[in-house]
Amino acid sequence: MTKIIVITSGKGGVGKTTTSASFAVGLATRGFKTVVIDFDIGLRNLDLIMGCERRVVYDFVNVIRGEASLQQALIRDKHVKDLYILAASQTRDKDALTSEGVEAVLKELSKTFDYIICDSPAGIERGAQLAMYFADSAIIVTNPEVSSVRDSDRILGLLASKTLRAKEGREPVSEHLLLTRYSPKRVANGDMLSLSDVNDILSIPLLAVIPESQAVLRASNSGVPVLLDKESDAGQAYHDAVARFLGEEVPHRFISEKTPWFKRLFSFKEKEAV
Amino acid sequence: MCFQFKASFSPCIIFELFRYDIGELKLQLAETIHKTPNLFTGSMVVIDMEKLKASERVNFEVLKQLFLAHGMTPVGIRGGTAEQQEDAMSAGLPLTNIGKSMVSENAKTKVAQQVSVTKLITHPIRSGMQIYAKETDLIVAAQVSPGAELMAHGNIHVYGCLRGRALAGIHGNKEARIFCRSLEAELVAVAGYYLTRDEFPAMREQNGMIQIFLKNDELQIEML
Repeated sequence: MTKIIVITSGKGGVGKTTTSASFAVGLATRGFKTVVIDFDIGLRNLDLIMGCERRVVYDFVNVIRGEASLQQALIRDKHVKDLYILAASQTRDKDALTSEGVEAVLKELSKTFDYIICDSPAGIERGAQLAMYFADSAIIVTNPEVSSVRDSDRILGLLASKTLRAKEGREPVSEHLLLTRYSPKRVANGDMLSLSDVNDILSIPLLAVIPESQAVLRASNSGVPVLLDKESDAGQAYHDAVARFLGEEVPHRFISEKTPWFKRLFSFKEKEAV
Repeated sequence: MCFQFKASFSPCIIFELFRYDIGELKLQLAETIHKTPNLFTGSMVVIDMEKLKASERVNFEVLKQLFLAHGMTPVGIRGGTAEQQEDAMSAGLPLTNIGKSMVSENAKTKVAQQVSVTKLITHPIRSGMQIYAKETDLIVAAQVSPGAELMAHGNIHVYGCLRGRALAGIHGNKEARIFCRSLEAELVAVAGYYLTRDEFPAMREQNGMIQIFLKNDELQIEML
């Protein structure tokens, strides 16, 4: 059964595309046939982060409009086999996306892929709504910062009400918190919201905490998803995140060394991925 | 086969009895029929007791004979107290469900039930969600995020953490109250009178519920 995962946040610039890229690589590395789709029509970034910007011929909108087949549009990743990318259109905008078109593409992809990752744009408009509409699981990327937390909360409300699963009364989209750009030092000196502050408001199971890391910028610039930078803290954190999503028990390494009770509290809150 | 039933919808005149004064009644009946005799002669009559005082006792035998004398056939009654119904029964006029009487009673109970069933929500209410409890109270047994809105005609009870807005007694119910466990709401209002977070009184953290209500058109915030 193909699983559709949406990487969403509400707030912009928190790490959705970074996460989509690393998650896709992580799943494909474990042998799952994976495709990652950029839903940010007009402001595409996924191709840059995946390092395939020079190989985009046809895009998501071309396929929806029947101007190209999926075979023609899908780009094979050069780092990992079993991984494909469907880039967004850069010349059009979100109005080019239709619910029927998206549904048809996802149905077609479901025939051959194990995981479909939908990289959502920021905001709550059509692109973001369509990215989450058909999802089975949602990874809510949040920065430990007040506006990001509020926007993530809004997104949680939409996931609970404006998705196909909600409309059909089926089991709801599973929710997973991914806290990015976390700095235990800044949390300790009171500058930054702590994990428990974020959890107070969002109250959803924690998937992973990705530490603030210089490796992320390097990864974007080089077009190599940060998970493949195995020495970096962010890379390792994403690796753990994928493992946890697949149901493995992995202790959280990047929350804080000084407060082990956090680890006990939040490893208790982990739940198995859908 | 001895017989069969056939559906037939013959019109039935409803005789709404306001008060039983046999002298006056005879006169009024005679006058009314005199104006349009064809309308009434040969028709069936159902005596509607709804507008009659519960204490009034009607002599149904006399009433029945009066109708028969005018060429009308009384077939039964509707509404009225148990006593009045019994009286009618002994005169050979059973309780009927002709017309809307029984239906409106059912509708009334239904409406009464709807009004008293409180709206209960157990999932977290996220930012941007609006919950509206029409003609009833609202209970939320989960957190209410900042940016969420609760509205109710009646009272609002929040057993999780209330961080959004709560507007009780909308449409002017000044008796409505808000109950919550901590004062983190963005705005609270009863019947349109509101206070924002900035204007809340300083309250020491205590265990227990906080209640918010109107006194002399001023919003009061107190520990229960």
